Amino acid sequence: MHRFGECCGASEGRASALYEQGGRTWYFANYEWTFALRELAILEGFEAASAIAWRDGRPIECRQFLADVAQLAESLPQRAHVFNLCRDRYYFLVALSAALLRRQVTLLPPSEAPGMLLDIRKQYGDAYCLTDQPDCPADLPVHHYPAQSAVVTADQTVPSFPREQVAAVVFTSGSTGEPMADVKTWGALLAESAMAMKRFWADRPRPAAVVGTVPPQHMYGLATTVLLPIQAGFALHSARPLFPEDVRAALEQVPAPRVLVTTPLHIRACVAAQTALPDLQFILSATAPLSPGLARQAEGMYRTEVLEIYGCTEAGSIATRRTIDGNVWRTYDEMSVYQRDDRCFVEGPSVAQPVALNDVIQLRGPHEFSLHGRLADLINVAGKRTSLASLNHKLNEIEGVVDGAFFMPEEAPGAVSRLIAFVVAPGLSRQALLQALRQHIDPVFLPRPLYLVNALPRSQSGKLPRASLAALAARLAKKRKHKESA
Amino acid sequence: MPEANHLEGEVARLIVETLNLDIDPTGIDPQAPLFREGLGLDSIDALELALALSQRYGFKLRADDPNNTRIFSSLRALTEYVRVNRAK
Repeated sequence: MHRFGECCGASEGRASALYEQGGRTWYFANYEWTFALRELAILEGFEAASAIAWRDGRPIECRQFLADVAQLAESLPQRAHVFNLCRDRYYFLVALSAALLRRQVTLLPPSEAPGMLLDIRKQYGDAYCLTDQPDCPADLPVHHYPAQSAVVTADQTVPSFPREQVAAVVFTSGSTGEPMADVKTWGALLAESAMAMKRFWADRPRPAAVVGTVPPQHMYGLATTVLLPIQAGFALHSARPLFPEDVRAALEQVPAPRVLVTTPLHIRACVAAQTALPDLQFILSATAPLSPGLARQAEGMYRTEVLEIYGCTEAGSIATRRTIDGNVWRTYDEMSVYQRDDRCFVEGPSVAQPVALNDVIQLRGPHEFSLHGRLADLINVAGKRTSLASLNHKLNEIEGVVDGAFFMPEEAPGAVSRLIAFVVAPGLSRQALLQALRQHIDPVFLPRPLYLVNALPRSQSGKLPRASLAALAARLAKKRKHKESA
Repeated sequence: MPEANHLEGEVARLIVETLNLDIDPTGIDPQAPLFREGLGLDSIDALELALALSQRYGFKLRADDPNNTRIFSSLRALTEYVRVNRAK
């Protein structure tokens, strides 16, 4: 624990920090901010009255945050696991912190699909949902985020947590369709923020606030719009703007320097709508590759830099680039990449053990690489990741489905490619199939279109060559167009 | 109200064309929700749709508008929003 004004002095002016994990010592050189990685402290850049968040143009002070965390922590039920479904980013942060205080592990599902939550709960039997919405998406025990903010008291301490404490479990889709858990210790999460701080603000003034269009439940959003702000000492905007006008409004509600954390989709929407945004320190993009053309347009229109993060759920953020500089990614200084057999791995202070990367990567050195697309089976739609195997498994589990397969068409530049599904299911309607799928998969993976067919073009060995599916897709699309124009 | 029906058909076609949906525009239930249930659209679609609507009708959509959930609650609600807010 530390109190405002006490512990901060101890680490001020520190030029470097040492930190051990997994038997290795990581050395953070030229570290200028008041920051003690050894203690993994948070809120060191804040005074009691500093804004930790902004909502509707009004600041939420740091002391209010501490009071809200204490109030919520006290009211939480006695359980070991909690789904943090809060959509308001500030409420999400309070809920995450309250769970940490109560030594409860926060579960971060990839989506709110009810079947997904129930599947995860099979492994975490006592999990309950903590939500700021009136309704809970699944039939699970619910704890509602309090309607009233807490009364601020004079005596407040900033909690600290052991770095070994399991803070969160994030999930990805495994190939069998079961969600795969990835355990994040508090230390690993904060190590990631520390590396990001160094990368983005070693040569820039500290920003005042960040606006994020990505959900706090995903690794990218969690790291950049929740943990980075509280560790680095700037405020987060509570909203998650969607439309270009919302992005503009949210940015105008926070003081400069501002950072926009977003995705290629939102950047494209803002550029296409020619939305005027206020001055930005930089735009940060992740979840899907950003085209250099779009990045150049955005840089010109918003007179700022467009930076990209490369990462994955298992390893968090790994490397960055300024998109217009080309296909060369530089890892965070403390992270390194290496190749073993055909796969590339990443290691560093934010991962407990080396993580295999799911992309085709060409190494240029331990800290530099270029990216050449995703490994075959993996699907990424708008930053949400799954595998064809997982989707096919779920499709074929639906009662009445005889055979079925998903197919990902070639990516068209600048547009989001949607999945196609071919299903043999006599007696089932398209509507019924989609309804059944919706229970188990994230809506972004719903097939568009879903074709009902008599048989799949399986080879004699039962395999479904991609070329045959591509031919089938082309044939059916042509038929559909013909029907429409008739 | 033939004029209202005309606009509803136009908005329905815009939705289907913009999002490349596998349905007949005239088959959209004007009262059914567009997102999640019903047509099952998601936020990526919302972004695409907002852009197409602003280009066609010259207004800018806001999601944090208190009317937001109502705007996208159905084809009819969206059409009504377009009718009131269109600038072209």
